Amino acid sequence: MRDLVEYIARALVDDPSQVEVRQERLGGNRVRVELHVSKQDMGRVIGKNGRVANAMRVLLRVAAAREGKQATLDVVDPR
Amino acid sequence: MKQERTTLEVIAPTVEEAIARGLNQLGLSQDQVEVEVLDPGSRGFLGIGSRHARVKLSVKAAGEPPVEVASTMPETGALPQVEEEGVAESGMPLGQWDEQKAVEVARRVVGELLDRMKVHARLRVRIQPPQEENAQSVVWVEIQGDDLSILIGRRSETLNALQYISSLIVSREMGVWVPLIIDVQGYRARRERQLRILARRMADQAVLTGRRQVLEPMPANERRIIHLELRDHPEVITESIGEEPNRKVTIVPKRPARRL
Repeated sequence: MRDLVEYIARALVDDPSQVEVRQERLGGNRVRVELHVSKQDMGRVIGKNGRVANAMRVLLRVAAAREGKQATLDVVDPR
Repeated sequence: MKQERTTLEVIAPTVEEAIARGLNQLGLSQDQVEVEVLDPGSRGFLGIGSRHARVKLSVKAAGEPPVEVASTMPETGALPQVEEEGVAESGMPLGQWDEQKAVEVARRVVGELLDRMKVHARLRVRIQPPQEENAQSVVWVEIQGDDLSILIGRRSETLNALQYISSLIVSREMGVWVPLIIDVQGYRARRERQLRILARRMADQAVLTGRRQVLEPMPANERRIIHLELRDHPEVITESIGEEPNRKVTIVPKRPARRL
């Protein structure tokens, strides 16, 4: 799951060195995936009306389902 | 506490349309109701002896209040309206691209994505020459294998997400916008045929009844097929209403009902 989000994010941003993906287990079969990118690259991974992030969520859902899990994706705003 | 269940019976030319109309009337999405097909209907032969489908929708336990029906503001813009996907949002310039390189890049990118989604499949990648005047070549990726319905998803949501992300990555690598279509086991071609038939049938219905026909929500590429199919229809116009992801095509008769 983590590597799917990481692959997509690295391919879309200007600064791949700033891409970091963390995966956290919540209760049961739920998993939270956190994507960090540089401030300048936020728009690239979110997209207009969140379209890129939502497409990533849809693909992440498939990857998670293959492992019997449910995953959420958060794009974390850098301060 | 016993929940009283609201039910609605709908009759329409196909099961799909009956469900769509019922949901539209209730202002609910498909996961908020239970669908029982009372009669799947029959297409008959060349429209002769056809029988309409009948479905019963039962509203599931009233956990959530019914959602307001999406805004029905008609879209502004000239007719015939042809919806475009992706190009404007990608931020990539338009221009010529190397077909052989695009095929290689697309194969690699889609393969990498599927690997990471834990989906095992074979890829056939080819260039589809322009289909209409002024159109461009398209990179066509066919995914083949067993049990790939997981890659299509409801209203082809997953397939479209995979196509969108792949297009963005391929275009970025090519430095120019590369139109890319991903299909799974011939799904898009089958769906296109169904949509063209649906468009014709709903147009007939609009002309016959003099009333606008609202189709079920569809993604942009499917709405486009309907718009194109009816572009030259002498008696109806088409428009899209509502907001994504519930945007729907409506087919509007140009004149009131024919008197029989």
